[in-house]
Amino acid sequence: MAKYLIIARGTGIPSTLSPQEVQKVIQKYMSWNANLRKDGRMLHSEKLRAGEGRVLRGQGGKMVVTDGPYVESKEVVGGFWLVEAKSYDEVLQMLSNHPHLDGPGILEVREIEDLSHLG
Amino acid sequence: MVSRLARWLGSARLDLAEEAVQDALVRALSTWPFSGVPAEPRGWLFQVARNRAVDLLRRDAALRSKLDSVRAETESAPVSEPAGALGDDELAMMFMCCHPVLPPPARVALTLKTVGGFSVEEIAAAFLAEPEAIAQRLVRAKRQIREEPISIEIPPKGEIGGRLDSVLDVLYLFFNEGYSAHGGPNLTRAELCGEAIRLGEILVGNSATDLPAVHALLALMLLQASRLPARVDETGDLLLLAEQDRGAWDRALIARGLGHLERAASGDRITAYHVEAAIAATHAVADDEASTDWASIVRHYDDLLELKPSPVVELNRAIALAKAEGSAAGIEALERIAGDPVLARYYLLPAALGRLWLEAGDTERAARYYEEALTRPTSAPERRFLERQLMRCRRPATA
Repeated sequence: MAKYLIIARGTGIPSTLSPQEVQKVIQKYMSWNANLRKDGRMLHSEKLRAGEGRVLRGQGGKMVVTDGPYVESKEVVGGFWLVEAKSYDEVLQMLSNHPHLDGPGILEVREIEDLSHLG
Repeated sequence: MVSRLARWLGSARLDLAEEAVQDALVRALSTWPFSGVPAEPRGWLFQVARNRAVDLLRRDAALRSKLDSVRAETESAPVSEPAGALGDDELAMMFMCCHPVLPPPARVALTLKTVGGFSVEEIAAAFLAEPEAIAQRLVRAKRQIREEPISIEIPPKGEIGGRLDSVLDVLYLFFNEGYSAHGGPNLTRAELCGEAIRLGEILVGNSATDLPAVHALLALMLLQASRLPARVDETGDLLLLAEQDRGAWDRALIARGLGHLERAASGDRITAYHVEAAIAATHAVADDEASTDWASIVRHYDDLLELKPSPVVELNRAIALAKAEGSAAGIEALERIAGDPVLARYYLLPAALGRLWLEAGDTERAARYYEEALTRPTSAPERRFLERQLMRCRRPATA
């Protein structure tokens, strides 16, 4: 088993949804989460504050701070999940029906490199 | 949720309550997937909505004085609520939305929007109306509520009779919206039907509204809901009554429905709900489509036409008549109402004609009607069903 970081960018919903529809989308997210929890695959998850972030760069020995997190304001990171899976393929399988992809949102998956064999 | 918040803010601030609840839901959506659902989701949502409402009020300088009184309550009111209180809020809100000074179409639209949380588009589909017309209707109704003003409360006993009829109409529409969700990806939304039934049960549970017509409506909704599990196949496609696995009908709901139908018989007034519940009961007790008592269903539709003349009822009567007396009789009855403007956006009319012509062996004419049905608003499963039927017309030999 390897660990994967799933980063959710953008929001998963258009703003025109009715309260009934928003509740349905919430249900979908929660049942996706519940499935992973049930199988013990969900290791950790956090929401990140919307519309905030700092990007740091070194410039001639000085630290330059810009507002972030990204150039395009649309690319807000909503949060992340840390999950356990056998392979990228299995993570993609897990995400194949993910509600975040029903809307304009984007999911990014990164494998966490296992360095334990290096002691 | 909107009901509770609006009752607290006052009926003049209905838009504010709706906006605050919507914001709270969106906030839940961007939080819960990562943080998990809080221990008391409704309490969480209510607190966020209430804070949001206070923020929105603060922005409006003209409402400063209202803000002070609201803020005082915010600090004292508990976040979680006692069980059952929400039901009372919704009922009080329904009576406000159904107030006699509002025009009937506005009452229904307002209740669906405010109590049911439906979008303007969903309401328009349920009414066979244009979304712009519904939006306008809502704006006018809210203005009227502010100007009269109409308060959010359960009316005193002497005034309940007339106001209840409109509440029942609303519940019925609420239920139908769930039973056959128009234009959406899923044909049935069991949770909506469950919500209409829940509100109906709150009504019969309250001594002021425990009346025969309410039992009749509740019986109707329970009997219809009993067929929900059998109404679509495993891919979500629509199944005809004849194709449904009657073993999948929910016997417990049927029993509850028949129980309420019995209690509905205690009054001296027969309502459309009584007749429609009797039709649903006739289906519910039949072993299969062939042994269904279609002749008595046609008679029930005759009664219904007297109580509530409508081209949609005529349409259903014609379908039952085709079962009782053959497709020719059904086609004749359908052609009589084919030009009715009310049915111009209603896909079931051409779909029924297509079906009867198919049964009569005229596949070409059947195909033309199915094509016509496909040009009208439908949910995705309804559309797939019509496309399947159209294929059958075009390739009858391989069937």
